[in-house]
Amino acid sequence: MSRRDGAGVFAVALMAAPVVAGGLYSLAAAVGLAGAGANGLSAVRLVDVMRDSSTWRSIGWTFYTAGSATLLATAAALLASVQLQQSRVGRALAILPLAVPHVAAALAALLLLGQSGLLSRIAFAAGLIAQPSEFPVLVYDRPGASLIISFAWKEFPFLTLTALAVLQTAGSTLTEVARTHGADARAIFRRVTWPLLWRGLAPAVIAVFAFLIGQYEMAVLLAPSDPLPLSVLTYERVNDADLARRGEAYVLGLLALLLAAALVVVHERLREDDSGHVGAGGRNA
Amino acid sequence: MSAQVVAMPDPGAQSRNAASARSATVVRPPNVDQSTTGGLSATLLLAALVVISLAPLATLLMTALLPVARFPTIWTVEGDLDQVISVVTNRIVWRSMATSAMLALLTGVSATALGYLAARAIVRAGDRVRRIASAVAFLPVIAPPIALGVGVQVIALRAGLGGATSGVLLAHVVPATGYVTLFLLGVLRTYDHRMEEEARSLGASPWQVFVRVTIPALTSPLVVAIALGALVSWGQLALTLLVGGGAVRTLPVELLAFVRAGDDRLGAAAALLLTVPPAIAFGFLRTGARQTGAIT
Amino acid sequence: MIARQTRSVRRLWAIAVAITPGVSACAAPSDRAESATGARSATEMAALPWDSVLVHARGTSVLWRMWRGDPAINAYVDGWVAPRLKSRFGITLQAVEGQGAELVNTLVTEREAGRGVGTASLMWINGETFAQLRRENLLAGPWSGRLPNAQYVDSGSAIIARDFEQDPAGFESPWGTVQFALIYDTVRTPSPPRTVKELATWIHAHPGRFTHDQAFGGVTFLKMLMYALGGGVEQFQGGFSEVKYIAGRDSVFGWIKRLSPDFWRGGETYPPDVAAMHRLLANGEIDFSMSLNQNEVVTKVRQGVLPTTARALLLRDGTIANAHYVGIPFNAPNVAGAMVAADFLLSPEAQFEKQRPEVWADGTVLNHVRVPGEWRAKFSSLAQDRYALSPDSLRRYARPEVAPMYHERMLADWRTMIRRATP
Repeated sequence: MSRRDGAGVFAVALMAAPVVAGGLYSLAAAVGLAGAGANGLSAVRLVDVMRDSSTWRSIGWTFYTAGSATLLATAAALLASVQLQQSRVGRALAILPLAVPHVAAALAALLLLGQSGLLSRIAFAAGLIAQPSEFPVLVYDRPGASLIISFAWKEFPFLTLTALAVLQTAGSTLTEVARTHGADARAIFRRVTWPLLWRGLAPAVIAVFAFLIGQYEMAVLLAPSDPLPLSVLTYERVNDADLARRGEAYVLGLLALLLAAALVVVHERLREDDSGHVGAGGRNA
Repeated sequence: MSAQVVAMPDPGAQSRNAASARSATVVRPPNVDQSTTGGLSATLLLAALVVISLAPLATLLMTALLPVARFPTIWTVEGDLDQVISVVTNRIVWRSMATSAMLALLTGVSATALGYLAARAIVRAGDRVRRIASAVAFLPVIAPPIALGVGVQVIALRAGLGGATSGVLLAHVVPATGYVTLFLLGVLRTYDHRMEEEARSLGASPWQVFVRVTIPALTSPLVVAIALGALVSWGQLALTLLVGGGAVRTLPVELLAFVRAGDDRLGAAAALLLTVPPAIAFGFLRTGARQTGAIT
Repeated sequence: MIARQTRSVRRLWAIAVAITPGVSACAAPSDRAESATGARSATEMAALPWDSVLVHARGTSVLWRMWRGDPAINAYVDGWVAPRLKSRFGITLQAVEGQGAELVNTLVTEREAGRGVGTASLMWINGETFAQLRRENLLAGPWSGRLPNAQYVDSGSAIIARDFEQDPAGFESPWGTVQFALIYDTVRTPSPPRTVKELATWIHAHPGRFTHDQAFGGVTFLKMLMYALGGGVEQFQGGFSEVKYIAGRDSVFGWIKRLSPDFWRGGETYPPDVAAMHRLLANGEIDFSMSLNQNEVVTKVRQGVLPTTARALLLRDGTIANAHYVGIPFNAPNVAGAMVAADFLLSPEAQFEKQRPEVWADGTVLNHVRVPGEWRAKFSSLAQDRYALSPDSLRRYARPEVAPMYHERMLADWRTMIRRATP
């Protein structure tokens, strides 16, 4: 038994190594011990970054866009999963965005939603606008409209698949039980399906949110110049002309890493509560 | 992030039956009566899905293949056929596609090898280890590229992986292994190890057991795992830029370069080429997987 | 059995990986000594007769880190320079992406890792990058004065003899020159503004049709404004002066703040880079784009990015011209090969080809009078592409760069004071 545990612990350590190494190096760079422009141990950069309001604006805006996109994608996934269980075409369509890599999806959004993009030209052809500036601002905008839409578009398949899985496995059994007890379709939906979906989706929703916070590819093509998403701000600092400010990039990276770690913990908590006993069916004998 | 079966919830004891039902065969009849929600709204949803899912791809197609059209022209067919041909035969595009493909394949295989070993060890370990392990496997999946990329770069340099490409491979393998481990954890949870133990008791060596019992039994999930790892590498951009420093030219890196150089046509072409292999892979996987029930 | 062996090997790796970050932090002092060795080997090579250098270089390969964002430049380097380096000097040239900040980062990381030899032998650099590389002792040299073709360089030109007011001092070899210009559409804007003052009037009369980008092009535009509003570039020469900078910056930012409500999107957001601006110009969202290279309009029209009616525009207050160079990193694996390549890039033949409008239209660093006879005629008779600007106006309105710190501060202050809008 303990040997098995040993092998398991080793596997865990192996997977953790790069993240831990990255975290340690970022920490070293953040306090001036490593990286370009390093000139000795000092907490100056840490303090500068924490005190800089643009750091917090950036984090706030990143939370806002990631959160809005997660909500949007979740709502759409809930709707779609309930409606699409029988439709193979529908499911195929819902899954399609999975195949489109993030950077490609962002480019498509830029070309489609820009003020002189495809949608705008269709609006012009329909006589709704006379020049690009009359089309609503969706790209490089403070509300982050195109970014939120693109995020949601990309994450919607994963949430839909998860919801479908929940419905089709546990859902079907419980529903049958409820039906045999005489509940009508509406009641089943409200008291069985809906709660199941929520609980089943919760870990996936947290995962999506955490992922979107660190997303760079889409943000770099669609975000406004202010506030900057955290990933873009970090990358900007990495290449900052002022070498001393590059250490700030590592501080920001560390912040993001801590956020991600916190969300992972939340995620695991949700899975535990949900199943009561994670992986109990995994022990094979 | 596009793992299909990650962190599946297991609500309650009945789910264990449901889980094995899941690994048996096909989809059960829908548990929501269509009449409550109405055929009309379903049709509307379907129509909306068609537009929403396909509009971005249509945009890319038009931008890549048609001559340059400026506002307010929606499309035009006047222009050089030469320009279209130059887009399709662009050397940079195909070269970077080859780089991406090679990296993806290597990542998929490496991540599956590592992920299988890890998942196997974890599944047989104690509860506490299992819980921590899934959390840890999750971390590289959502860790921000800069923290991850920096760590990988440092490791790569010290391990003597001089060329930037090997460093980038390492960078891709890290999150890919996370995804694959989580996926294989789900698969191995319901995998019956007894056949292997019987083969061992009959005198087979671990290697023989692996080749003649494990692989045949797990072929489909392992193939899916390789595809999953490959997909993670294929679409990567941030890590490739950070660890490769812009020197490793994968297709996503060239896409960004085209867009930054103002060449939307080549950018759109690259975007489409980026999409085709995963789309095909998904097509194959879903038909194959449906048969074994490894994925819903 | 196999599994157990693999496991212990992997265990060793894990331990090794875990302790190395700690070890590296202690390794710093010895790395500086190594960088000094690299610099000496370049000077040693420079002391040898040129024939020896050629012999050392034959049969080797050179990895060149440069900006690969322009297909025209890539075609010149990959399709014209590389084959000739191969056939004449036996050097295999491989050009890969790498610019500015990333170059510095990579070299610093390589030095921290304690590796004696790096990967790149040649780098395309100028301005701030050169400053940073010098500050961190990441360049090999001096060597560039030693090149045979260096005799033809227009070393009297203020643009070439000083790289953002810094003395190359033999640590970088000149390659080409560019000049900042605005780009506009002659159909939409038949009579564009010709001075900064006229530009301000124009912006006010055409709200929402002007902006600048967040990257190098935009900052160069701001610096140009600083010269114009501050009484000319002479006010800012002679090293960085905090007092002069603050005064200059404040007049620029005052100008911007007065006009930004009339900027594109009300000045609330700025396009990320010059390519985004070209896109906006082409699609009629704005009426001016800009470029660090006055001839970019030539290549972009050919690529179909800009309409055929686009033209470059210089402002009479003067626009910034600068030179770009190539340098050799301190840990270059092939110093001889890099020097031979740099020398070839300086040759009249390569400089002429580079300047041709169909190729790159990048200015030459050679002195038209010093080059050998047959080349003198060729340079003067270069066919002027109708999109290009006349050499006379280019010369008349060229202004040199000032100390790199002006650029760094302008960018940093722009980000905190202008880009971060009032909520």
